[in-house]
Amino acid sequence: MLKLVFLGKLSDVAPAGLADIEPPRDVRTLFDLVKWLSSEEPVLGRAMAATTTRLIVNQSVTHDHSLPLTDGDEIAFLPPMSGG
Amino acid sequence: MQISIVSEAFDPQAQIAVFAAGRADASALVSFVGLGRAATDGTHVQQLRIDQYPGFTEKEIARLAGEVSVRCDCPDLLVVHRVGIIAPGEAIVLVAALATHRGNAFEAVRILMDYLKTDAPLWKQEAGQEGARWIEPRVEDRERRTALEKELV
Repeated sequence: MLKLVFLGKLSDVAPAGLADIEPPRDVRTLFDLVKWLSSEEPVLGRAMAATTTRLIVNQSVTHDHSLPLTDGDEIAFLPPMSGG
Repeated sequence: MQISIVSEAFDPQAQIAVFAAGRADASALVSFVGLGRAATDGTHVQQLRIDQYPGFTEKEIARLAGEVSVRCDCPDLLVVHRVGIIAPGEAIVLVAALATHRGNAFEAVRILMDYLKTDAPLWKQEAGQEGARWIEPRVEDRERRTALEKELV
């Protein structure tokens, strides 16, 4: 089970049912997850592709999309920030 | 260094009073308060919504404040940032600095506000008569941030 968090404008297009998901077994990495989400939810996929989306895994910034996912991981999708 | 993310309206003067209480060792106190605006580019704003990523937002603001405290030799910094629904005129952000010399305090507040404008993990949505719109990062803020990096090198 993964916990997904969508911020900003992505929260407008991400279905509530994505908050806690059990992805298919072949979704092993962040790259796989983004690809699968884009396929399952095309509107969300287009929104993520249309902007710079940063991925945060368990509250830490990651640039390595080959990172293996582990049961219980929290993955946040951050569109560009408005700032304070 | 004190960092708070709050979801209710706060009184900046009361926060500053607590921050500075008993600090006879400091001879300079500088503060900045950002307020919710009533209009953007001539369009009336009814309310502002600010979303955070709980945990991460506070951690990142603390990291930014830590950088500024080192750069400005000003360890006593206060940041209070509001999230949730904010009405025009209400305080959004308070940044304050206590220091022995005023130059350090002025610089710390100025630089930390510039950092927050571009790097704080916050998402703002303005709502008015024409509906709601997410606020994108402003080019001017990014340019100021870039200029700041060059200035600090």
